[in-house]
Amino acid sequence: MKTYDVTVIGGGPAGLAAAISAEKEGARVLLVEREERLGGVLKQCIHDGFGIIRFGEKLSGCEYATRFIHEVLKTSVEISCLTFVSDIKKTASSFCLTLVKRGGLEDIETKSVVLATGCRERTARQVAIHGTRPAGVFTAGTAQYFLNVMGQMPGKKCVILGSGDIGLIMARRLTLEGAEVLGVYEAKSTPSGLMRNLSQCLYDFNIPLHLSQTVTEVHGDARVTGVTVAEVDENMRPVTGTEKYIDCDTLILSVGLIPENELAEKLGVALDMHTKGAVCDQKYMTLTDGVFSCGNALHVNDLADYVSESGEEAGRNAARYTLRERALIPVTAGKGFLYTVPQRVDTNALGEKTVFFFRAAEEREITCVRLLLDGNEIMKKTYRHLRPPEMERLELDLNGYKYDNGSGLEFVMEELPS
Amino acid sequence: MNIEPRRKALFDAFGDAVKLEHKNGCLYLSGEVGSWDEAVRAGLLCAESGSKTHVVNDVAVRGFTPPVTKTPAFTDTAVDGKSPDVLVIGAGVVGCAIARELARWKLDVLLVEKEYDVSLHASSRNDGMVHPGIDLRPGLLKKKLNTCGNRMYTKICAELNVPFERCGQYLCFKEKRKLPALYLSRPYWLFTGSGRTKVYTYKSLQRREPHISPDIKCALEFKSAGIVCPYGLTIAFAENAVQNGVTLSLDTAVLGMEVKDGRITAVKTNRGTVHPKIVINAAGVFAGEIASMAGDRFFSIHPRRGTNAILDKKAKRNINTIYSLMGTQSKETHTKGGGVVSTADGNVLVGPDAVETPFKENFETSAESIFGTFERQRQSAPWLTQRDIITYFTGVRAATYEEDFIVEAGRSTKNIIHAAGIQSPGLTAAPAIAVRISKLAVKMLGKTGRVEKNPGFDPVRPPIVRPAALCKEDRAALIAREPDYGEILCRCEEVSRGEIIAAMHRPVPCATVDGIKRRVRPGMGRCQGGFCSPLIIKLISETLNIPEEKVRKGTQGSEPLLGPKGGPDENV
Amino acid sequence: MKKELICITCPNSCRLSAELLDDGTVSVTGNTCKRGETFAENELKHPMRSLTTTVRTTFPKMPVLPVRTKGEIPKEMLRPVMRILSSLVIDREIQSGDVILSDAAGTGCEIIATLDMRP
Repeated sequence: MKTYDVTVIGGGPAGLAAAISAEKEGARVLLVEREERLGGVLKQCIHDGFGIIRFGEKLSGCEYATRFIHEVLKTSVEISCLTFVSDIKKTASSFCLTLVKRGGLEDIETKSVVLATGCRERTARQVAIHGTRPAGVFTAGTAQYFLNVMGQMPGKKCVILGSGDIGLIMARRLTLEGAEVLGVYEAKSTPSGLMRNLSQCLYDFNIPLHLSQTVTEVHGDARVTGVTVAEVDENMRPVTGTEKYIDCDTLILSVGLIPENELAEKLGVALDMHTKGAVCDQKYMTLTDGVFSCGNALHVNDLADYVSESGEEAGRNAARYTLRERALIPVTAGKGFLYTVPQRVDTNALGEKTVFFFRAAEEREITCVRLLLDGNEIMKKTYRHLRPPEMERLELDLNGYKYDNGSGLEFVMEELPS
Repeated sequence: MNIEPRRKALFDAFGDAVKLEHKNGCLYLSGEVGSWDEAVRAGLLCAESGSKTHVVNDVAVRGFTPPVTKTPAFTDTAVDGKSPDVLVIGAGVVGCAIARELARWKLDVLLVEKEYDVSLHASSRNDGMVHPGIDLRPGLLKKKLNTCGNRMYTKICAELNVPFERCGQYLCFKEKRKLPALYLSRPYWLFTGSGRTKVYTYKSLQRREPHISPDIKCALEFKSAGIVCPYGLTIAFAENAVQNGVTLSLDTAVLGMEVKDGRITAVKTNRGTVHPKIVINAAGVFAGEIASMAGDRFFSIHPRRGTNAILDKKAKRNINTIYSLMGTQSKETHTKGGGVVSTADGNVLVGPDAVETPFKENFETSAESIFGTFERQRQSAPWLTQRDIITYFTGVRAATYEEDFIVEAGRSTKNIIHAAGIQSPGLTAAPAIAVRISKLAVKMLGKTGRVEKNPGFDPVRPPIVRPAALCKEDRAALIAREPDYGEILCRCEEVSRGEIIAAMHRPVPCATVDGIKRRVRPGMGRCQGGFCSPLIIKLISETLNIPEEKVRKGTQGSEPLLGPKGGPDENV
Repeated sequence: MKKELICITCPNSCRLSAELLDDGTVSVTGNTCKRGETFAENELKHPMRSLTTTVRTTFPKMPVLPVRTKGEIPKEMLRPVMRILSSLVIDREIQSGDVILSDAAGTGCEIIATLDMRP
């Protein structure tokens, strides 16, 4: 049975970065990817805006992925595509994985695992869209695959539900390819995507954005013939009497991403219900020793640059992993935060900098974010503007403080009078 | 049959608007009312449970025209001029089971179905329960056929290689004082055909089903209850039938019949006219229409919708078998109150509810029915949460007013046999219905010539191989023989390329996204086809050698893709 | 006529209100720095955009190839350039970074591939 120091599951931006950095540390690395080609979802992200932070360039998603793919091909990382992890088990001192591929079944043993399994899209059923089941209802990512990978038009007259980035990007993409995008409907009262995308995907093309409205029903037998939209109340429930019928042949859903953690669950890795990803420390190790998590599997990111950063860290730490005592203290987020990551800090292994990511729960103007250690303020930062769709990154030096057994870090948020 | 009390009840409810006539062994209702519910109520007021004097309900609804039956948009001559011994109308579980049963004889059997695949109506829209028949009154035909059918399931599912689990069903009670009655009831259940039972106190029940509501104080387990995949079984019946010589014609709708001297001489379809010796009516919600075409209308179907929700496989951690709470059954309806079922595929199914409807093919779901169902079932399963829902579906039951099955030869027309009004427990009873119908058919055909047994009949259907369910050695050997089985296309359900290609080569054609989904499951997992549907479309396109934009999701006109993105001529 | 804009120069995403005046200057409000003013001026006078799209190929394993403009082109040239790219069919193996069109519709801008054809 082949053995590895680090097995990275997932060959998208997170996994690629993890494999590269793990190999740099001298580890024997296996990178497993279930698709035919590396790159993950970036293969279909032909739009630009990637790499501004990491490379100082405005690249398309494919180019961004290609950089990492070229780099990993130069290393000694063993790459196995069209390979599916069917089972994963923790043994006494390592992990055993069962891989399924065209060549057969293979069991491998690995000292550490990096879960870079990305996320999936929320479905129509999960947002309670009723009615019939015709062809022509697609999640935005699937529509993107049809158009950008297969070169096929998924629709001619489209309604988009959800103002998340994928929906906005597809609004522009479909319009440029000759489809008619009738409008983007968003159940929340504020848009979900990056401002840059609102501007360049909707406003540029005069595509209307309807806030506090949702799609409640799909109509059509063999193919979509229309949808019913309705206004929603503060609890995002449709308001009876506000229904309107819209003639269309395609409904595109961009209603959220859900981290994929089936393998994490198989291993009994503790998950955070706010992020839907694993609970981890600042080294990206989960509460299960030897299991690391990064990228969108850990929490849904907006920027591929941060995904790569987390992958790079996770891979490096997975390579350096040896079983040792951790002194984990919890990191909690007070009112106003959607979540913060990591959820734990290992005070036995503080590096020069500790990176935190967080999202505000609501749109806010001038806000002060403070970090308290056992009630005492150790960091304070003021933000002009915070939006849930725009994840924030904080780099802090946590050295030099006194950490006890019962210590805890807490992020608090205060909106200041403007 | 006492007509006057019925006339009085109708008068009390509707005045002169509804008229009742008792003739030809039927109760004919005519007139006009204001709503569908009132029309159904008129029928229910006159019907006697289990009676062979059926209500034929022609009461019209003011200002409402019932929708026309959907039929395929094309015509051709695929079955034109055929003269089968038996024409079976309807490829639901009953029609397919009948066709398979008939294949045991040397007969030319033609099975027609108006949809693009078998099992698309009630047979794929139910909870897959094989019932012990608890709430069926002894004396009813459906009770008898349920008992027989239930007993046949182990053997039939083994022959057809369809997974079947006799997991048992718990009938739960909130009152501890019911316990002695449960013990006393056991001989009754055994005697009346519901099989062996076991009494559980809260403690012992909790050990078997740790997540059951603490409100449940005792329960009665019915050991004969089981779970099967209803469309998987229907497909298996159909495949075995075709394997044994039955001709299956899909997209074939029966549009009319010629009846001379009490005999059907011709059956018109959109794919030609056939001249069967005998006709078997297994047309589900349309059984009444078929009976009319055949000049043999002596019953009426009043369709009843039900919606089920399917929960993520993770919810399965909370349930091991089937349970429902006594008292969830509404006194107003004749359908069971639904329950919480762990399906054959490992999901949890919640539902169904029951609502009268004139729309036989309306499978729309609604938020209200999901909510209502959940609230009802939460009494025995407090862990139910709508957040676990991955999908939901609606089915329409074919109920007669007498709420019993009709499994008999025609009354006015000599060469038709009806398997009509098959609502719950239709799935359980299907094997027994098939045997009974087949006997009637052979007897009917025997009048004009000898009917011989088919010595080549093979009851075994080759299984659908599921590599992910095999042990490692078998799976490895399979992949070594055929590497396509090692390439996973659907990661939520771990379905390989090999399985999808194999499915497309099975006896019943299924090269649509949904057809493949029903056979080998890609698209049924948590991402609902988000990742795999493009791959499935590509594979169908490759296998059938058709352009990707011609690949269908299901029915005609359901192509997901509209064609390659524009060249310079496109109006960009 | 006043135009509502969202500045995308920095994460502040200031909401700007800009107007092209008769004398050819641009009046801007809502900005918190000079870059916002410059952004609004450019947006009104000569808005520039990058174009990302795909181009058809003759290779069944990769029916479309993702491409982008190397740099930005005038916003009003987006559709004309799309039209030109829609008529291109790639019949040779291209790698990421290769130029597939050196001057798109007279904009002077190169169109480059952004994915390797061979994995």
